Amino acid sequence: MIVGEQKTIAEIKEIIAPYKKLLILGCGTCVKTCFAGGQDEVATLASALRLALRKEGKELAIEEFTVERQCEDEFIQEAAAHISPNSAVLSLACGAGVQAIARRFGKTPVLPGVNTTFIGVLEKQGLFTEECLGCGDCKLAVFGGICPVTRCSKKLLNGPCGGSQKGKCEVSPDLDCAWQQIIERLKILGQLNNLRVYVPPKNWKTSHAGGPRKLVREDHII
Amino acid sequence: MKRQFKPEIAVFHCISTFPDGAALPFSEDENFSIKSFKLPCSSMVKDVYLLRAFEAGADAVLVFVCPQGQCRYVEGNIRAGKRVQFVKKLLDEIEIDGRRLALFNIATGDAAAAVEIIQKILPEIVKLGPNPAA
Repeated sequence: MIVGEQKTIAEIKEIIAPYKKLLILGCGTCVKTCFAGGQDEVATLASALRLALRKEGKELAIEEFTVERQCEDEFIQEAAAHISPNSAVLSLACGAGVQAIARRFGKTPVLPGVNTTFIGVLEKQGLFTEECLGCGDCKLAVFGGICPVTRCSKKLLNGPCGGSQKGKCEVSPDLDCAWQQIIERLKILGQLNNLRVYVPPKNWKTSHAGGPRKLVREDHII
Repeated sequence: MKRQFKPEIAVFHCISTFPDGAALPFSEDENFSIKSFKLPCSSMVKDVYLLRAFEAGADAVLVFVCPQGQCRYVEGNIRAGKRVQFVKKLLDEIEIDGRRLALFNIATGDAAAAVEIIQKILPEIVKLGPNPAA
């Protein structure tokens, strides 16, 4: 899932300042799961903004609506009737959702209410960890399903740096050493021989470093 | 003559704190007015409910939950506590003042404790003054 965090009220107030009628548009998928932009967060933010602005004697009409996914046209169209009467949209989706809405509704300013942070997992309720960098050349099969590109502070591909202590990374004691985890996992899988597999330096052109990426599936294009 | 400030207080409480049929032990008087909202469990108190109470004009919002370890649903009162902490920060951020929101543990049907809590915090609510966003 894509993990994001809602912007501060102060920052949101600043970006919505020029507008008189605002739609706060939630997204019911990733950002709902990480408590940044689902229906509940839309309602809470709307209420907090109304209070904050009323305290300052300012007027702003706020409408609330949430779609299942802001990154897909099929769901976006449900928002059309709510977007047109408003002078701006504050999207609580990830950056992809914000841009999908902006692309679809070209004449309405679409503003981000969330900082998109990483691709991660819900490790436990309220704790999200980054697990994938989207490098475009996945080698998880060699690493026992644990990604050193994302989870090793030094992004080492051929074994640990030797600086970890008691399973913790020397860069930050809050981080588990990814290579310790990889070795332990390979032991369980009986695949310690994988450590002999030489993984060449990554060619980052498959990652974002190679520019914005595009995936074309001809078999689904009519 | 300056009119005396009479705080409006919203109270959210678990149904187990004051079981069905038992009214909160408050009546309107000259010092404050009170509105109570009964919930099946205090964990049902969403962030937005607390904020909307302030939108509706409450000068203070109180959440009464079961004592620690005595929630019928195991952790409902802990969840309510977390939500109250979150909304207090939000109230501080929007300069409404997080002290206007508070959570208290109360044993089932302990009306005397509820009255004591109100009496104890009333001077602070009066000191904070009217809700600036009301």
